[in-house]
Amino acid sequence: MTKKEEQLTITKAPSIYPAKTKTQVSIILFAVIAFYLYSMYRAQDEMVGGIGSALTNMWSVMVKFFPPNFNVVSAIMPAMAETIQMAIIATTVAAILTVPLALLSARNIATFKPIYFIFRTFLNILRTIPDLVLAVLFVGMFGIGVFPGILALIIFSLGILAKLISETIEAVDMNPLEAIRASGGNTLQVISYGLVPQVLPQFTSFVLYVFEINIRASVVLGLVGAGGIGLILDQQIGFYNYPNAMTIIIVIFVVVIAIEYISNKIREALI
Amino acid sequence: MSTYNLPPKPARSTWKKIKTILITVAVIALYVWTFLGINIDWGRAIERAIKNFGIVLPKLFSPDWAALGEVSEKILETIFIAFAGSLMAAILAIPLGFLAAQNMSGSRFVSGIGKWILSGIRAFPDLILAILFVVAVGPNAFAGVMAIAIGSTGMLGKLYSEVVESIDMKVVEAMEASGANKIQILFHGVLPQIIPEFLSYAIYRFEVDIRASSILGIVGAGGIGLMIMFAASNRNWNEMGLILLAIIVVVTVIDFFSAKIRRKIV
Amino acid sequence: MIEFKNVGLVYPNGTEGLKNVNVKINDGEFVVIVGLSGAGKSTFIRSINRLVTPTSGELLVDSEDILEYRGGDLRKLRTKVGMIFQNYNLVKRTNVLKNVLAGRLGHTGTLRSILNLYKKEDVGLAYESLQRVNIADKLYNRADELSGGQQQRVSIARVLTQKPSYILADEPVASLDPPTSHQVMTYLKKINKEDNITTIVNLHFIDMAMEYADRIIGMRAGEVVFDGPVSEVSEKTFEEIYGRSIREDDMVGGADES
Repeated sequence: MTKKEEQLTITKAPSIYPAKTKTQVSIILFAVIAFYLYSMYRAQDEMVGGIGSALTNMWSVMVKFFPPNFNVVSAIMPAMAETIQMAIIATTVAAILTVPLALLSARNIATFKPIYFIFRTFLNILRTIPDLVLAVLFVGMFGIGVFPGILALIIFSLGILAKLISETIEAVDMNPLEAIRASGGNTLQVISYGLVPQVLPQFTSFVLYVFEINIRASVVLGLVGAGGIGLILDQQIGFYNYPNAMTIIIVIFVVVIAIEYISNKIREALI
Repeated sequence: MSTYNLPPKPARSTWKKIKTILITVAVIALYVWTFLGINIDWGRAIERAIKNFGIVLPKLFSPDWAALGEVSEKILETIFIAFAGSLMAAILAIPLGFLAAQNMSGSRFVSGIGKWILSGIRAFPDLILAILFVVAVGPNAFAGVMAIAIGSTGMLGKLYSEVVESIDMKVVEAMEASGANKIQILFHGVLPQIIPEFLSYAIYRFEVDIRASSILGIVGAGGIGLMIMFAASNRNWNEMGLILLAIIVVVTVIDFFSAKIRRKIV
Repeated sequence: MIEFKNVGLVYPNGTEGLKNVNVKINDGEFVVIVGLSGAGKSTFIRSINRLVTPTSGELLVDSEDILEYRGGDLRKLRTKVGMIFQNYNLVKRTNVLKNVLAGRLGHTGTLRSILNLYKKEDVGLAYESLQRVNIADKLYNRADELSGGQQQRVSIARVLTQKPSYILADEPVASLDPPTSHQVMTYLKKINKEDNITTIVNLHFIDMAMEYADRIIGMRAGEVVFDGPVSEVSEKTFEEIYGRSIREDDMVGGADES
C-alpha cells in the first residue's frame, strides 16, 4: 500500500450508506417532524391553557367516569340490540348488492372496458366518503331514525366489499370457466358453476369482516341521529352523567369484542 | 329415455347433519330477531324523501364556492389532526407491536398480554375515543389528535406485530452466534427487516385517519366535521356539496400519493 | 363432419394462428394433431368450438358454417362439441358429481341449473359416465382431492355427460406421467370406438400419436403440413413436421407399463 492510498483510507472511511440516501432520509425526516410540530401547534391553538394544563385536567375528568353505573345496563340493551340489528340488515343488503357490482368491476368478467372503468371509478369515489358523513346526509334527506343509518352503512360497506370481492374475482383460476363455456353454458351458468365455488369462501369471510366494521360504525351513528346506541351515549355525556356513559362504553366494548371473536372463529373455520 | 341407476346418496355423519341444522336454525333465528326488532318508520322516511329529494340533491351538486375559504381551512386542520395522530400512533405502536410479537417477547404469555391490549384498544370506535378526549381536554383539535393517535395504535400495533412475527429469524440467530448483544441484534438484525413494512403500514394508516379525522368534528374534536354538522342542521346543502367535494378530492389525492410512496418503499 | 375451408386466423396482436387451413374430418375418426408448441394446434382445436374465432374462410360443422354463430347458436354448437383440457379445468372446490353435471349445463335451463335442480336422468347419466371411466367411487370427493390422472378422467366424464358428437382434447396428457397418460388415452380411444364420437386430440408426443391415432395431421407455423392415415407416417414424416430431427423428449415412453 502506498503512502497516498493509506492517507485516503484514514481521512475518508466509507460510510455504510451512500451519502445521497443519508441526505434524502434526513430531509424527509426533518420535513415529517416539522410538519408534525406545526400540526400540533395548530391543534392546540384554540385550547385554553395549552397541552400542559389539558393533560393534568384529563386525569381529574377521567376519574369522574368511575365507578360506572351498572344499574342502567337493562335500559341500554334495547338500543344496543338496535345497533346490532342495523349492522345485520346493512351487511345483508350490502352482500346482495355487492354481487353484481363486484362482477361489473372485475376486469376478467366485465371484459367491456368502459363498464369496468365506470364501476371502478364509482366505487373509488364511494370509498372516499366516511360512513358518518353519509349518515349526516341521509338524516338530512330521510329524517332521523334507523333508516338513514342503515342506508349509510349499506352504501359505505358496499364500497369496501365490492372492491375486496372484485379483487378476489380477478384472482380466480379462469380455466374452469373456459371449460364450462366450452360445454355450452351461458354467462349465468359460467358464473354460478365456475366462479361462485371459487370465491364463496372468501366472499363469506369478507362479508363477516364488513359486518365487524358495520358494528363499530353503527355504534356511533346515533351521534348524528341515525339510530342505535350512539344517541344515548351522546345524551348521557351531554347531561354530564359520566358513570352512565361509562357503562354504555363498557357495553359497547364487550359487544364489539364478543362479535369480533365469534366472527374471527367463523372466518378461520372457512378458509 | 332409458332408466339410469342413480348414484348413492352421500354418506354424511349424523353429527354433520345436526351441525348443519343447528347453524341454519341459528341464522334464521338471528334474522327473525333482527327483522322483528328493528323499527323502520317507512312512512316518515318516504314522506321526507319525496319532500327532500328534489331539493337536496341538486343543491349538493352545485357547491357553494363562497365557503371555499373556510372549507379549505378546516380541511387543512383535518389533515393536521390526521398527520399528528398517525405519527404519534406510528411511534406508540412500535413497543406494543414488539410486545405482541411472539418471536420477540419470547413467551406466549407476554405476547398474549400485548395482543389483548391491542385488541382492547381496537374495540373502541375512534369517535367514542374522541368523545372521551373532548370531555377530558375540551372541544378542540387536540382531542382529535389524541383520539386518532390512540385509535390507530390498536390497528398499527397489530399489523406491526404481524410484520415482526414474519421476519427471518435465521438472521437473528446468525448475529447471536457472532456474539452480538440484544440491542445490536435489534438494530442490525431486526430493524432492517421491518422498517419498510412499518413505514408502509404507517402511511396506509394515515390514509385511513384522514377519513376518520374528517368526522371527528361531529363530537367537537376539530376538523371539518363541525362544518358538516352545521351545514346539515342549517340545511345548507350547497355548502355540504362543497365539503363533500373537498373530502373526496383530498382523500383521493392522499390515497394516490400514499399508494405511490408505499409501492416505492416495499 | 367437420370441414375447414381456407380457414385463417390472425390474432389482434398480428400473430397468425392459422394459415389457409383445408381439412375434412369424417364422423367417427380419431385424429391426432401433432406439431411443436406454437404451431397452431390449440388454435385449430379451439376454432371448432369457437373458443377462438377464425378471421377468414369457412368452418363447417355438420354442414353449417359455425363462424357466423353467436349467442344461442354458439351454445348449441358447444353442447355438441365436448372439450378436454390440459389442466383438466375442474372447479377445484366443488365435488366430482357436480363437476360432471356441469356437462349438462347446455341442456339445462339457467334457473334449474343455478338452483341445482337437475333432472333424474341427468344425474343418472353423470353417474354412468363416471362409472365408464372407473371413478364413480370418488363421487362426493372434492375435485382438488384427486390426482391429476383422476381429475382428467373426471373431465372425460364431464364431456361424456354432455353427450357430444365431437370431442376435442387439447394436450390432455401434457401434465401427466407416462402410465397415467396411456390410461387417459385408452379411455378416449375406447369412447371413440364405443360411441362413435369423432375425436380430435392435440399431442406433441410422437409415440403416443402413432399408438392411438387413426389419422395424423401435422402442423407447423399455423399451416397443415401433413395429413394422412397413421399407416403412412414414419419417423421421417415427423422430422418434416417438426422441421428438425427427432429427440428423445418427443417420446413419452412407458407404453409397455400401462
